Amino acid sequence: MEYMSKTIEEIHEALKNGEVTVKELIEESLKKSHELQDKCNAFVTIMDEAKEVEVTDNLLSGIPYGVKDNYSTKGILTTGSSNTLKDYVPFFNATAIENLDKAGAVKVNKTVMDEFGMGGTGTTGHTGIVLNPWDTTRICAGSSSGSAAAVAAGVYPYALGTDTGDSIRKPAAYCGIVGYKPTYGMISRYGVFPFASSLDHCGVLARTVKDAAIVVDNMKGIDKNDMTSWDSSNINLYESIENNPKGKKLCYVKELCDISNYPNADSELKAHLENFHKTIEKCKELGMEVEEVSVDRTLLNASYSVYVVIHSAEASSNMSNLTGIIFGPRGEGKNYIDMMKDHRTNGFSPLIKRRFVIGSYVLQKENKERYFNNAQRARRLLVDTWKKLFETYDAVISPVGIGPAKKLEDLNKVYDTNTIALDEQLQIGNFGGFPSITIPNGFVNELPVGINITGNCYDDVNVLSIAYSLESNMEYKNQIAKEVYRG
Amino acid sequence: MKKFTQEMVVSYADKLLIGLKEDEVEMVLSEFEAIDKEIDLINEIPNIESVEPMTHCLDDFEYVLREDIVEESVDIDELLQNCDSKLDREVKVPKVVE
Repeated sequence: MEYMSKTIEEIHEALKNGEVTVKELIEESLKKSHELQDKCNAFVTIMDEAKEVEVTDNLLSGIPYGVKDNYSTKGILTTGSSNTLKDYVPFFNATAIENLDKAGAVKVNKTVMDEFGMGGTGTTGHTGIVLNPWDTTRICAGSSSGSAAAVAAGVYPYALGTDTGDSIRKPAAYCGIVGYKPTYGMISRYGVFPFASSLDHCGVLARTVKDAAIVVDNMKGIDKNDMTSWDSSNINLYESIENNPKGKKLCYVKELCDISNYPNADSELKAHLENFHKTIEKCKELGMEVEEVSVDRTLLNASYSVYVVIHSAEASSNMSNLTGIIFGPRGEGKNYIDMMKDHRTNGFSPLIKRRFVIGSYVLQKENKERYFNNAQRARRLLVDTWKKLFETYDAVISPVGIGPAKKLEDLNKVYDTNTIALDEQLQIGNFGGFPSITIPNGFVNELPVGINITGNCYDDVNVLSIAYSLESNMEYKNQIAKEVYRG
Repeated sequence: MKKFTQEMVVSYADKLLIGLKEDEVEMVLSEFEAIDKEIDLINEIPNIESVEPMTHCLDDFEYVLREDIVEESVDIDELLQNCDSKLDREVKVPKVVE
């Protein structure tokens, strides 16, 4: 009997009634970790020495899970998938890890990511490319690539992720699972490697909406070590979500979701949008009201550049401490400047270096007004537009990406510029700190695709309830990847 | 507005203590060119200069200061486990002053 492909509630029940032991769960998860590592390269570290814990009434107790490699884990290698920290072993736990330890959750591996979260392909980690368990010729997206691959392959029911642009929600879609980032600050970021602090969110990849709610309930809470965290003790997501879709009001953005915006659309984009509109019909059948709305195209088109300017600027500042002096392998050189330069030049991947230079440029006194300040202004306009929608609607619903997972060989393909706004629109959820969840909604070319539901800040229960209602009425709940590689 | 040139890219990279290969410099410039075009569009939004830049997700955020209580700090021996080269309880470093 296999348990790691079940839901958290099912595994908990099996533990409580003695059907399975924690030791057996750990063994199953570790065995699957090694199998997936050979096939998809999802892990930086597999913790073969993971220890048993006592089973309590906490739903997570005794159940294995995975940790993205940018969460500090005491005594366990934590690299951020970067050569600059390839030997770094933290002396403390991130608060979210500490909270899960208290719940009795058992971490069994650290998952590969795009280096420091900066990248959306799963191809820039220092241990190599993460392959999609549905089709190993395709990417998982990123940056929470290994977490998505592992949850989809049934290594365990959930893994931790972080999301600065769409780093939980797009890999979830590409791997046919659920990806949820709660409202900004609901989960403490203390001990998570900072990338772009004003956009960084912690969250989870799971296979059901309820499982995602259970995990975030156990990760969240105000933290004296993160002054942007807030008190959510009055919120219990798991107990509050309900399958009651009648009367919920959703909208979708015409400029993103209408096929007529994409005169050169390929067959995958066409099928993806058709499938999205089928899901809209499903929402209506369930009693939800769904309306099409229009948003200023200039703002939508500028969204990706706004994201690049802001995250590059914040990252160039956040990562200035990576010098090889206080963390990571020391560089070579005759003085400390040369040593730092050697460490940074050889340690960072080309993508990171490019973004640092852009970040530095847009922060220069003479450039700041044109680039950084204007990006922050456009950020406010986009957020205000979405907040205005939330005055009328419970949530914005949208397709995730422009089709199923992209082929590795197509990574350098130049896509129609019209599609950039659609491909990158989940970043608006980070601009505003909105609660945002991706769930699977079908298949294109036998590969999973997803939809996203995003609501107003602090309205997580509503967002999860809408997702839960839809999930309960579709056929993609708790699905496990079946490789469809056709050579 | 001065154009972002190859020399500027190299100079900024140097200030960041990063060395770039020639093709990496080219990639910075082409990536930046796309951003620059979008920023041009943002600049055309009427009254953009009057919009308050958004620096943080939550507008209603209140910072709460914690109590100033002395807490136990991290054990030095534990910290030294992460150090390649040490002498007793101190970090051993190479000579970096010429």
